Amino acid sequence: MAGGRFSLDLARPSRQHWLGYILLAPAVLLIAAIIIYPLFVSVDLSFQNVGIARLDQPRRPFTTANYERLFTSPDFWNACWVTLKLIVIVTSACCLLGLGTALLVNNRFKGRSLARLFVAMPWAVPEVIAVVIFAWIFDSSFGLMNWIFLSLGFIDKTINWFSDPTAAFAVVATTMVWKGYPFVSIMCLAGLQSIPDDYYAAARVDGANAWQRLIHITRPNLRPVLGVTTILVMLWIFRDFSIIYVLTGGGPLKATQTLSIMTYEQAFGFFRMGYASAIGVVTLIICVIAAKLMMSRAPENL
Amino acid sequence: MRNSLKSWVLGGVAALALSTVALPALAQTKTLKFVSWQKDERGVGDWWASVIKEFETKNPGVKVEWTKVERGAYADTMTTLFAGGKPPEIVHLASFEFQKFADQGWLEDLSPYIKSSGLNLDGWAGQSSCQWKGKPVCIMMLYFGNIFAYNEEMLKKEGIAPPTNWAEYVAAARKLTKDTNGDGIPDQFGTGHETKGGGGQYLSELMNYTLDAGGRWTDNNGKVTINTPQMIEGLARWKEVVKNSLTPRDLTAGETRQMFADGRIAMKLDGPWLYPIILRGKAKDQIKIAAPPFNPPLGGSSNILGMASEIPADTKKLVWDFIAIATSDKFQTDYATLAASTPPSPRAKTDGAKAATPHFDLLVQTAQAASKAGVDRIPKGLEIQYNEFAKMIMEESQRMIIQDLDPKAVAATMQAKAEAIQKQ
Repeated sequence: MAGGRFSLDLARPSRQHWLGYILLAPAVLLIAAIIIYPLFVSVDLSFQNVGIARLDQPRRPFTTANYERLFTSPDFWNACWVTLKLIVIVTSACCLLGLGTALLVNNRFKGRSLARLFVAMPWAVPEVIAVVIFAWIFDSSFGLMNWIFLSLGFIDKTINWFSDPTAAFAVVATTMVWKGYPFVSIMCLAGLQSIPDDYYAAARVDGANAWQRLIHITRPNLRPVLGVTTILVMLWIFRDFSIIYVLTGGGPLKATQTLSIMTYEQAFGFFRMGYASAIGVVTLIICVIAAKLMMSRAPENL
Repeated sequence: MRNSLKSWVLGGVAALALSTVALPALAQTKTLKFVSWQKDERGVGDWWASVIKEFETKNPGVKVEWTKVERGAYADTMTTLFAGGKPPEIVHLASFEFQKFADQGWLEDLSPYIKSSGLNLDGWAGQSSCQWKGKPVCIMMLYFGNIFAYNEEMLKKEGIAPPTNWAEYVAAARKLTKDTNGDGIPDQFGTGHETKGGGGQYLSELMNYTLDAGGRWTDNNGKVTINTPQMIEGLARWKEVVKNSLTPRDLTAGETRQMFADGRIAMKLDGPWLYPIILRGKAKDQIKIAAPPFNPPLGGSSNILGMASEIPADTKKLVWDFIAIATSDKFQTDYATLAASTPPSPRAKTDGAKAATPHFDLLVQTAQAASKAGVDRIPKGLEIQYNEFAKMIMEESQRMIIQDLDPKAVAATMQAKAEAIQKQ
């Protein structure tokens, strides 16, 4: 059969790309099985009136009721607003803090390795442990924060951190920033180290001060890294569940209820999996649009 | 060479002989899955272990695979298992969540098994709640009444007698809430309630006050009855306790119980499960248990045992054997002793429990008082929508406290929202 009609000669230049397809096939099939299929099921469920979903049950009639209900629900728009607020506040704070600490530990000073370790440490702490630590810090009756604020005279009576909508939002945002900024810092540090020293040396010769070097050398060279990092942080906030769920459960008064918390609550709290799928699909679309917008604003070399 | 060949032949014969004996034995091993949140709970966990041991002794070759899932993740896990077509054969659920599973047809109708085994469920506490669409889909494992525990030393220090009604209770709670170390932060509380966490527990805590004020979420026909003077009074009481921080804020039920057991909270209304926690606390010698100052006491069904419907017939028979052991007179008697709780069976002997748990008679009395008054944590007519209803009540109560709203207006809002939930 060698050299027969059905032999596949991958050595032939015209068929060399086939090898690529063959090698990629297992990964593509795996991705299709674990990402695309559930996605398809989710989209399909969002167009059915389903309580608890089962794959072996016959398909329910097609309906757009879930989406109609979703877009007229004040809870959905509130969840969108809370998610947006968290994205803007947490992403900005993470980027500022991450960039600041990266610039700091990029300098040569005694104990730099230790400083780098401390900067990166929150990233290594599991999310649930971080949440437990912050839950204790902000405990209304026995927490550290109330004690510090009272001792410093900032407040004259304790703040009920998890019973006040504004305070609860602040606690969630603070925890997310603490957990998220090291990632930005590590990425920025890698970016900073890739900028040739010659640029800074030349700028110094030309009389540029530290601020001018930051604006005219560091900033443009870091833009590609910062762009990708910002998108990744933003997507992390979109999908993050455990920090909010363990700290506040989305409350009080839905002040910390993001789209991911709302999806979970509808699916597993109220057993409305069709409606929850609709929220999930809309969240996915928002994520794709937001990432696309961010990417389109990024420089070409991103 | 000859010896070597001989040893190979002998070895082969021995292996064959062993396989003919061992393989059928291996093939006979059957496993029943049993998922529960009570596995590590002192008392009741030990009781489940004894039921499993008895079942495995009576059914050689059948093992019970007992897995613990935390209460917080329980509904999600069970839903996923059932929806994925791999439910645990022995189904253990909270009494406020089994309705969703029964409504999907995932719980077996137990009436043929009850009939054939002759299990007498007359007088079985809370069993009526297990009826779903006219069929018994579960067996109630606990119907409880709340007890009142107080720190005698803290009350004596303030010259307060144990309260016997709402007015005395709230006056005592006010007096006992204080900052004992002068750092400006109250560190001792009159009473303790969960105000953070799920809607179900929040609803239960709030009901201590609404029931005493004469309020009910729904009437016997399932009609929503929140906008009534009694419910408004109950909501006003809850607001008074929480807004004035007579209870520590933002704690879970477990944390509140531990604070009480450690002597940071003076008075606590809770179910029979509080006692094992008290015994492990720093203030165990200061704590006394009495009848609740509220009438009727909060009570109700707690957890159920059932059978997955989509399992083979021979497995169903085994699951029923397990249920039969758990509901037998002997094990119901053991339940009272080991779990220090009121067994649902009227035939359980409680002499041993009375010796082990000094306040056992009180547990029985409060359970009976709650049962007589028709009290349950799950409002009639809102069983399927319970989670959503409880969440709504929690949010509106939080709004009342945060925005300092009039309980009258809050009751009207709750009424409208509950009716809307019921109509879905």
